[in-house]
Amino acid sequence: MAQSQGWVRRYAKAFCKGFFVAVPVAVTFLDRVACVARVEGASMQPSLNPGGSQSSDVVLLNHWKVRNFEVQRGDIVSLVSPKNPEQKIIKRVIALEGDIVKTMGHKNRYVKVPRGHIWVEGDHHGHSFDSNSFGPVSLGLLHAHATHILWPPERWQKLESVLPPERLPVQREEE
Amino acid sequence: MIFSGSLATALKIECIVEQTYGQWWQSLHRTMLRGVLGKTFRLVGYTIQYGCIAHCAFEYVGGVVMCSGPSMEPTIQNSDIVFAENLSRHFYGIQRGDIVIAKSPSDPKSNICKRVIGLEGDKILTSSPSDFFKSHNYVPTGHVWLEGDNLQNSTDSRYYGPIPYGLIRGRIFFKIWPLSDFGFLRDSPNGHRFSDD
Repeated sequence: MAQSQGWVRRYAKAFCKGFFVAVPVAVTFLDRVACVARVEGASMQPSLNPGGSQSSDVVLLNHWKVRNFEVQRGDIVSLVSPKNPEQKIIKRVIALEGDIVKTMGHKNRYVKVPRGHIWVEGDHHGHSFDSNSFGPVSLGLLHAHATHILWPPERWQKLESVLPPERLPVQREEE
Repeated sequence: MIFSGSLATALKIECIVEQTYGQWWQSLHRTMLRGVLGKTFRLVGYTIQYGCIAHCAFEYVGGVVMCSGPSMEPTIQNSDIVFAENLSRHFYGIQRGDIVIAKSPSDPKSNICKRVIGLEGDKILTSSPSDFFKSHNYVPTGHVWLEGDNLQNSTDSRYYGPIPYGLIRGRIFFKIWPLSDFGFLRDSPNGHRFSDD
């Protein structure tokens, strides 16, 4: 009797110890270092989800790279949607603070990106809910930098930070 | 003969050196080095573990914050210490009149501390009370309108417009320092500056 009780207590103790170590470490890792996400929608075609709804790409999201809010033009980033805080959107960074962008479908033809903001666009213009709809977004909404496609296996690749040449900013802010 | 003799001597000396070196390394390994390495690994392990618990606590539950700046006087003075909780943000329970901490829209590394005056869809009076023609702004979806209690000395949504809800980090609900002002925070001293739709 005493032996079985001792066994249960030891098991519970080990479980609690493991729980309080493993869960915070895992949660911190997924929040601060990297996580994985499935991409939905067609706004980043052909870079992401070229097959439409048949096969959604799964990307590796790197939080560590954006811990100081440093992004480059051409990076594919995920951010909290400014119109719906429960949703994350994944777009490409077109312009940084101080650049002047020629917009496509925005109410102003040319927009200067304010300090602490970035201009993001989906690669599939016209089918993308991006800065052309809601304007420049604050860097505080930045969530992660999408670095690799992990699934499906035939689409394993590193995502390159290239700006489409027709979307270069009209005027850059020189460092 | 001499050559092979010196070679044998050299080999013997080498053997002895290796033996003593090996013994020295073994004794070190058994006593001191293992203890030091073991202690270092344990220290690093504990640091990572408690760091992760701290991150989870601050991110999902709440924490203690020190506020600086005059923009929330008289409710929160400069260098007051308050208690902030993050549960309301995750469950989307921020109400009008709450004091929130948010990331500054123009500098993501710094935080601002203001009161929520309007949620999405609200009509905000943006003209000053002395103007004859009143102008209103509607708060867009997914945004909030923030204002400091010290209207004369506060850079808030009257200056940079409504901010996205995603920038809010937590809600301040309790002041713990100075002790003369210990307790839950008061309502806005500015009355109602908004009209609901």
